[in-house]
Amino acid sequence: MIRQAAFDHPVTVAIVGATAGVLAFAGLVIGVMTLLGRGTPDLRRELWLRTGSWCLLLPLMMGPVLLGREWVIGAVTLLGIACLREFDRATGLFREPLVTAIVVIGILAANFAALDHWYGFFVALWPLTVGVITIGTIPLDRPAGYVQRTALGILAYMLFGAGLAHLSFMTNEPGYRPILLMLLTTVALSDVAAFTFGKLIGGPKLCPATSPNKSISGALGALTVTTILVATLASFIFRGTPMAQPHWLILFGLMVGIGAQAGDLMLSSIKRDIGIKDMGTILPGHGGVLDRFNSLLLVAPAAFHFIQFFVGFGLAQPARLITGP
Amino acid sequence: MEFDLRPARDHGLEGADRLKSLSRERGLGSLILGRAWRTMLRGYMRGFHRLEVTGREHLPPPPFVIVANHSSHLDALTLSAVLRGEAARRAHSLAAGDTFFTSTLGSAFAAYAVNALPIWRKRTRPSEIATLRERLLQDRLVYILFPEGTRCRDGVMAGFQPGIGALVAGTEVPIVPCYLDGAFAAWPPTRKYPRPGKLRLTIGAPVHAQDLPSTRAGWEETAQRCETAVRALSGQ
Repeated sequence: MIRQAAFDHPVTVAIVGATAGVLAFAGLVIGVMTLLGRGTPDLRRELWLRTGSWCLLLPLMMGPVLLGREWVIGAVTLLGIACLREFDRATGLFREPLVTAIVVIGILAANFAALDHWYGFFVALWPLTVGVITIGTIPLDRPAGYVQRTALGILAYMLFGAGLAHLSFMTNEPGYRPILLMLLTTVALSDVAAFTFGKLIGGPKLCPATSPNKSISGALGALTVTTILVATLASFIFRGTPMAQPHWLILFGLMVGIGAQAGDLMLSSIKRDIGIKDMGTILPGHGGVLDRFNSLLLVAPAAFHFIQFFVGFGLAQPARLITGP
Repeated sequence: MEFDLRPARDHGLEGADRLKSLSRERGLGSLILGRAWRTMLRGYMRGFHRLEVTGREHLPPPPFVIVANHSSHLDALTLSAVLRGEAARRAHSLAAGDTFFTSTLGSAFAAYAVNALPIWRKRTRPSEIATLRERLLQDRLVYILFPEGTRCRDGVMAGFQPGIGALVAGTEVPIVPCYLDGAFAAWPPTRKYPRPGKLRLTIGAPVHAQDLPSTRAGWEETAQRCETAVRALSGQ
């Protein structure tokens, strides 16, 4: 497997530099707001909390990407399990430990397939894991609640196992760093942009029963910013490939932008259905891990298969690194 | 359909608060840790204390409450080690908060390995008793409880306090009396660490309190029935 140095690609340097710059600028702006007494104390507190959390989160997100593929796969595995934990405690799936255990094994297996660079197994795990979840609790001879525990288990595996593991599989491409950094940062920026445009412009709500704080202006602003940014970065990353045509790049940007907001709304729907505000408490200003990473859940598989269609991941690299002959 | 979208009772609590919460519910991680802890504990009880158990057939399916004499830290360990299957997974030792839940590390061990719930002696609120009673019935739990309130300092069993009645009086939940012999000699309150010594656990037939009202008088009568049953097992 060919390995590139952490900062070989100029887009990697640009994203890491810009992220550090934006955080420093955000700190400066909020500091000035605090000094001048601008904005309500609640708003300033929320801004400080969010910025502080980003200062912790961004190194945790970017660090593994810069360190190497094994670090990314390890981090994605832990992220999947952390998301599952919050999901199962919020929905009550944790009261079905057998289903939860099968989903954990599925998450581990999907990320192992990525580590092994074994695409056949990676793809086969979707129906196989769903099959195991489907039949797993039948021997308990307890049909009451079967549909719900099975459905929740499958949803959990698809989102936190099969879905997120696409990020792991991307690392089989030697030039994965700018791709992953682009997805991580633009998806995070989509959230920030929606929040900012919503506050600045206001106007009608997007889905008031699902997410009372989201406005149409915020959604459109975030979609515009994300699409432009993704298309621009992708034009550098995929230069010289069939994907580097304006219409495909814009479509890719739109897909990432829509996927990010759809993931957010999906989690809001889950929370409203259950009747809870946040999925957890681990990240001050954000809530739980899922509250922060919901936007990535749908983007990861969508972006993977879009890029796979035009370019592919690790096609020139050896496969089945661990299980191969 | 049995399943509904019901979050964990402790959902939304910060980590440290969750460890000390009476609403704490076990997830997969806690079940795995608890299983590993019980396996080690059984090995220790077998090898170090040659634990002998009689009357295991008296243990009903959950929910139920185990009451026993209390002279040593070995008591709760022994009782949690002898439970099997569903009862073991649903078992909570009701432990002194001021002893086992004073530090985060201690609380994490008590919560994740032992699956203990804290009881704050002399300042237990009625709402906390109500939570324990509700969870016993709704979540079909098993409580391991020492109604003397604290370890006896001379090896002689003291009278039972009425708190046990507040949990079960007027319900169909069976109370399983147990008597553990040898724990005081092996690990009395005056010693820092246990020493080898034979332990004999006798499990008696369940006692019931469903005919008793959930009032002070009913609680005291429940405690009296439990104390009588445990004393009978001890041969006193």
